[in-house]
Amino acid sequence: MGYETFGLYLSAALAIGIPALATGWAQSRIGPAAAATLAERPELTVTAVLLIAIPETVAILGFVVAVLILMQGGG
Amino acid sequence: MSRIRMLGPRDQLQAVLGRVQDLGLVHLVEPAEAESLSLLGLTSEQKRHVLSVHQISKDVDAALELLDEAPSSTKAAADIALPRAALIAGRSRRELEALAEQRQGVEEERALIMKFRPFFSAFRKISQSGLDLDGIRVFYLVLREDGEQELRRMRAALREALEDGFELLSQPSESGESAMLLAVPATDAAKAEQLLSEAGVQTLSLPDQFEDESVSATIQRMQTRLEDLPDELAAIERERRQIARERGRDLAQIQATVRDHLATIEAMEQAVVTPRAFVLEGWVPSAARTELKQQLGKAFGNQIEVETVLEEEWAGETVPVVLTNPRLFRPFEAITRMMPLPKYGTVDPTPFVAVFFPMFFGVVLGDIGYGTLLGVISLILRIRSKPSTTKRAISEIGLACSLFTIIFGFLYGELFGDLGHRIGLHPIIFNREEAFFPFLGLAIAIGDVHIVLGLVVGAVTMFRGDKRRALGKGMAAVMVVLIALALMAAFEMLPERFFTPLVISILIAFPILIIAEGVLAPIELVSTLGNVLSYARIMAVGTASVMMAVVANRMTGAFGGVVVGTLFALLFHLINFVLGVFSPTIHMLRLHYVEFFGKFYSPGGSQYRPFRHWSAQQGAIEERSE
Repeated sequence: MGYETFGLYLSAALAIGIPALATGWAQSRIGPAAAATLAERPELTVTAVLLIAIPETVAILGFVVAVLILMQGGG
Repeated sequence: MSRIRMLGPRDQLQAVLGRVQDLGLVHLVEPAEAESLSLLGLTSEQKRHVLSVHQISKDVDAALELLDEAPSSTKAAADIALPRAALIAGRSRRELEALAEQRQGVEEERALIMKFRPFFSAFRKISQSGLDLDGIRVFYLVLREDGEQELRRMRAALREALEDGFELLSQPSESGESAMLLAVPATDAAKAEQLLSEAGVQTLSLPDQFEDESVSATIQRMQTRLEDLPDELAAIERERRQIARERGRDLAQIQATVRDHLATIEAMEQAVVTPRAFVLEGWVPSAARTELKQQLGKAFGNQIEVETVLEEEWAGETVPVVLTNPRLFRPFEAITRMMPLPKYGTVDPTPFVAVFFPMFFGVVLGDIGYGTLLGVISLILRIRSKPSTTKRAISEIGLACSLFTIIFGFLYGELFGDLGHRIGLHPIIFNREEAFFPFLGLAIAIGDVHIVLGLVVGAVTMFRGDKRRALGKGMAAVMVVLIALALMAAFEMLPERFFTPLVISILIAFPILIIAEGVLAPIELVSTLGNVLSYARIMAVGTASVMMAVVANRMTGAFGGVVVGTLFALLFHLINFVLGVFSPTIHMLRLHYVEFFGKFYSPGGSQYRPFRHWSAQQGAIEERSE
């Protein structure tokens, strides 16, 4: 495996990995706050689920970019 | 909704309220204040009466809770006199509370005796021999299974402190713990107690009634009690059931009657009166206005006047909202109801949800096998649910989703992942395992259409009020379409000659957008384009789902034996199915609530709560919660 291929795979891995970690970090902060909110106001379930789902956009866009990198590189 | 005003002679107020309650159509509100009118309010005697009715309500609720008898919606309020209702409710509550107390006492006694159970078998011989231990203090101890070393240490410590003046008997009990009896002369009891406490050994205290008895007598009596207690519990339960049989129905009726009575009193407080007349105001669905007039006319003739309040008089007030959709769309109201209700006069998004939610779900999951499985589960749930319940709505949403999943499964040629390709199914639009770009393009195109639709709906809704903002919304929709078309022309998906005219159109539309929406419009536009990109999740979640299914199929040959491999594959498919249903649901809800609703939805509507019989209201709540 040449440096170019290695670089390609590494870029794709970073493109999904970093946003995934960022999403995980964001959800780790939102999750407990949402759980605490739901304990007191269960009627906010939908809002809580939405707030938890919002950072996932970053990971999903990271995934799309990773796929683009791999496809452009012929991987 | 129509705002109506009911006027009539004051002495007819109670009767009119009774009829209005029977009809269950009017959401009562306080009338707009007028100088010559005053709120009816309650006299001090009526207030005392309300307190006594509240007491009956408390008694009957407590009694029904102790009976474990859920008040059924079919039990209509009977004409029960309040003094009799108070008598039955109060007596039932007292008797049931006494029974509950007795039951608790018996259960506590049983729990306490059960702690001594290890001693029953371990020291049966002592109890049978009738060994006399008068003048001796006996400690009942329990050691854990691995307490052998602890036992030796304790024996040594006791020997040091009491020399030979003690007896320690140890027997393994049926539960695996060691049951021990420590007998010491009463004079040395304090010393032994201190030693045990220092060693941290669990000592069981005898229940009061067994104090001052010998070991054998205690064990024998405990065994006898343990045999008697189930009979005592059964007797208590028999008595409770007898009360349920004799008075359960009455109590449920009293509950309905009392709640209706309280609701009527609350409704009376909302009436305004003159010395001779009353005025009641409320909201009715416009379609039911005529029925209300006819029914009140039939019951009271021309004594009651029902008039429609002009919109100018109630403009700006909160109007209650009721969602009304065709039968096909109705199950999807459950999704709309998860958000605060839309404001009166704005758009109910349920029809859009009914079309797009199952379609998006199908685009993501898109598999004939998973779709069929979901359909079967939804069908079973539908058969086992009652009409108009949340369960029924979920099952029908599931059926719609399964239908679209099967349709898109055919279009992708997928049956449990790539198994479809192996048995000769061919993708009609594209193969999701390889065609990432076409799938991404489809997802973004869906997003574009959905967001533009949201903006158009928003523009149409706003057009009645703020025309300038409506124009802004419309221009934003135009910009999104133009940008999408320009990008397509740039990537040669449209003829290249369209590119320049499209860019010129964007440059013309942009200043109009800023004029209509202000300087923040460009930021809003970027955010809207971000919303469109968010639909890439359709492709991302869909690709993840199909790849998981492909991995599951490859497991068949990956674990040596075909049987083991197939089992793993089935398990993995099952996990993928659960994730494949859960994940699109969450993501599609998010796309609707955040991206789509954000363009036009105005929350803030209050629920339409007609004044009706408590049993009917309770029935509706029960149905919804099932």
